[in-house]
Amino acid sequence: MGVDLPYKLSAIAELTGHEDRAWNVAWNPVKPLLATCSADKTVRLYGYSGIPTPTFSFHTSISTDHGKTVRSIAWSPSGETLATASFDSTIGIWQQKGAQDEDEEVTAGEWQCASLLEGHETECKSVAWSASGTLLASCSRDKTVWVWEVQPDCDFECLGVLMEHTQDVKSVAWHPSEEILASASYDDTIKLYLDDPSDDWFCFETLKGHTSTVWSLAWAPGGRYLASASDDCTVRIWKRVAEHQWECVCVLEGHERTIYSVSWGMTTTKRVSEEGGEPLGWLASAGGDGRINIWQLEEAPNSTVNSPPKYELISCIENGHGDSDINSIVWCPRAGYQDLLATVGDDGMAKVWKIEVA
Amino acid sequence: TWTRRKTQKERHSLWLSEEGDDSIDADDNEVELIDGDEVFDLIRSISDPEHRSMTLEQLAVVSAPQITVSNQKNHVMVEFTPTVPHCGMSTVIGLSIRVRLLRSLPNRFKVDIKVKPGSHTSEHAVNKQLNDKERVAAALENNAITEVLETCLESAGRRGRPADI
Repeated sequence: MGVDLPYKLSAIAELTGHEDRAWNVAWNPVKPLLATCSADKTVRLYGYSGIPTPTFSFHTSISTDHGKTVRSIAWSPSGETLATASFDSTIGIWQQKGAQDEDEEVTAGEWQCASLLEGHETECKSVAWSASGTLLASCSRDKTVWVWEVQPDCDFECLGVLMEHTQDVKSVAWHPSEEILASASYDDTIKLYLDDPSDDWFCFETLKGHTSTVWSLAWAPGGRYLASASDDCTVRIWKRVAEHQWECVCVLEGHERTIYSVSWGMTTTKRVSEEGGEPLGWLASAGGDGRINIWQLEEAPNSTVNSPPKYELISCIENGHGDSDINSIVWCPRAGYQDLLATVGDDGMAKVWKIEVA
Repeated sequence: TWTRRKTQKERHSLWLSEEGDDSIDADDNEVELIDGDEVFDLIRSISDPEHRSMTLEQLAVVSAPQITVSNQKNHVMVEFTPTVPHCGMSTVIGLSIRVRLLRSLPNRFKVDIKVKPGSHTSEHAVNKQLNDKERVAAALENNAITEVLETCLESAGRRGRPADI
């Protein structure tokens, strides 16, 4: 890039071990643990320690009982439970043996499958926990989104099967505070769902605008905005303009191939523009072109209900995983580590990046 | 099934090129430039999934002028022409081309595969499926599909030479 950007990304860890493409990476929201999953059907866990620049080390590997690729993983808000979505059409629920004991170290017992959720007819693509941890959503190539209720003893009851998409559902994401669910699809749309207390879960909004598959969704930390990443090489920002209404307010360009992943983080090092708008955090995107883009978003000082946020590309790095596609990019949500990003790629590797003033 | 499974395991991954495979090897320090003819050479002898005794070249499904290579952008575009506009095997043909190139081309190349514009009744759907790497990855974990693909790819190493020497 010929332009000098104000921030730079430095790789602080390169974690190898997967024997095939790595699809997804997830930071434990409570403990110093990073999880990755792969076409090799395993989940790998890495521990880290040290401030401000932690060092990472291999913790353990869960071989999983999945018969096919583990496509995505999600930590419950408590950090105790890990969910895996597999191409074998099941969702695995994993807990660490003896983890309930007091003063248990992270290095405690083995990870065991506490539950296996069956119901999807074809490959599961994504899984997500609601903010309270009481609901789980899953989606599949079978075009459905399932909402599950978490019950005691790792029992899961299906509350609804949402058949709104006309194609493959690629991703599900819960609103950060409300029980609103978003799903992204191969049918180029995003759908938003709510629970009707007297009836079932239902779709209240379809977001159209992308011209190809929508691969990934990220809610803004405050929940007023939603970002979506697409095969059309754009990231769209959708803004809540009414209680149950979102509108596309801007389109971010800056990728040359499919964008597979987008993540919205609230970094501690906030850089405020001269106009001094309200900070909306940093958005990271990555995909088939191997490029990582970081945008800073800010509420415009005189913003109206549907005015777009101000955005600025603050950092960019090419070939983040060499020649490989980057399949997932995620900001660390833990206090003190919010300037860290994790990525995984077709090279089977996980990398951790630190963003710093250039 | 056991033997086949073992083969799969030995292969390690359908995506990674193998040592001893007849792939185009890039020199350690030097980027080897490739052209459309070399890419054509890699895929011309893939067998047609329906007419197993015929190659994609013989059925005019693939041809050198339908291949575009950019060494600068590390990009390969392969266009192919299904034999009939409603050809149900188009995705399998496209997949066989994709797997062959994944195994043989240097990793730096991103490959797009499309049917010739106007040559298929579900052109958009076929193209979208062939270029969705998640759908491709899932298809390659399906034993029935990989069995067909491996059969089609057995002849790929002939690179235009006749079947029996």
